[in-house]
Amino acid sequence: MTSWAKVRTSLAAGLVSLGLGAPAWAHHSFVMFDRQRPLVLEGTVLQFEWTNPHVWIEMTGPDGRGGRAEWGVECTSVNMLKRQGWHHGSLHQGDRVKLLVYPLRDGSRGGQLAKLLDINGRPANLVSYR
Amino acid sequence: MLRTLHGPTRGLPGSPPSPGRRPCALLLGLLILATQGRLIEAGTPASLDALYADPHQPDIAGLWLVTGYFTLSPDRALPSLKPPYDALYAKRMKALNAGAPIDDVTANCLPPGMPHIMVVPYPFEIVQTPGRVLFLFEYAGQLRRIYLDGRRPTEDDDPAYYGFSTGHWEGDTLVVETSRIRADTQGDFTGLPHSDALVITERLHRVDHDTLEDELTLTDPKAYARPFRVTRRYQLHPTWTIGEYVCEENNRNAIGANGVTGFGVPPPADR
Repeated sequence: MTSWAKVRTSLAAGLVSLGLGAPAWAHHSFVMFDRQRPLVLEGTVLQFEWTNPHVWIEMTGPDGRGGRAEWGVECTSVNMLKRQGWHHGSLHQGDRVKLLVYPLRDGSRGGQLAKLLDINGRPANLVSYR
Repeated sequence: MLRTLHGPTRGLPGSPPSPGRRPCALLLGLLILATQGRLIEAGTPASLDALYADPHQPDIAGLWLVTGYFTLSPDRALPSLKPPYDALYAKRMKALNAGAPIDDVTANCLPPGMPHIMVVPYPFEIVQTPGRVLFLFEYAGQLRRIYLDGRRPTEDDDPAYYGFSTGHWEGDTLVVETSRIRADTQGDFTGLPHSDALVITERLHRVDHDTLEDELTLTDPKAYARPFRVTRRYQLHPTWTIGEYVCEENNRNAIGANGVTGFGVPPPADR
């Protein structure tokens, strides 16, 4: 966390109305994420970590100063993602992606995945809400 | 057929080897393999679940997932907390509302324990066998053992994350009493506290084929002004399989020096 510059979360995002059901509470409290201000995050996948307790998408995103910087996006567990149609090869390094993310409240470059919207220009419909 | 399968299974894998019984065990093993093969071929997952039920108990075996919110109470009701538990919980709620949770015991991969495990958003499998009902949780591979063989907890049973659970059937309802629960487990992710005096009584029954209901009554004279009752429901997922979940594999949410749940970046070697 300390190495991550703060980002003004207003920059990247349009508010999106969601109907994704009950929030996910997994092995840690998720109140660090702001579910009232989902944002659309676009960038390039640096690493797709197919791991427990959470799957992670490391990717590029806005740095808040007009440039690009690394973002960390936390998904639910491997098993729950599989039940929603994901698999270990759903994303690869270099993929261009568009995600719907609940950002960290403290403004750091990270968030919780709500939905994967688009991979390399093709619509995707992969959710991560449990 | 199931009755034949379940009667003699005490001599099967898991029991200490007994030279005189080996041919018998081998025969039974082949019988079970053959039967499982036929059931798999026959196709429906429900018939596989039946293999893990006990024909002498009402059937609640299967793979279940909690429905509704993942707070202990589905409508977010709270027990009436006595001091100092009220102040402790107020402190935790203040941190939650600020988006910086404290005392988030599971963030470091410690077990949620009872009663939190009953409301985590991952499935569990109920296995029924003579003298036992087992809850096998996907979440961190956790396990609850409910003894139906008449044993009782003793002073030698140290407080445990899942306490000590005994049960009996009242009609089609499994009544479970759990005591000797560690004082540092929580009610749910909000950090709902209790004392070492907590006793949880559960009444589990199938509302319909696809719905399991658990009425939990938490009695804790040290921490709660009166018993607190919540009713949770679980949906059957007959086509799911429990997957492996090792929390320590890549936990990037370890609690920081300030006591707040973290959100880590991968180590440089990973980049």
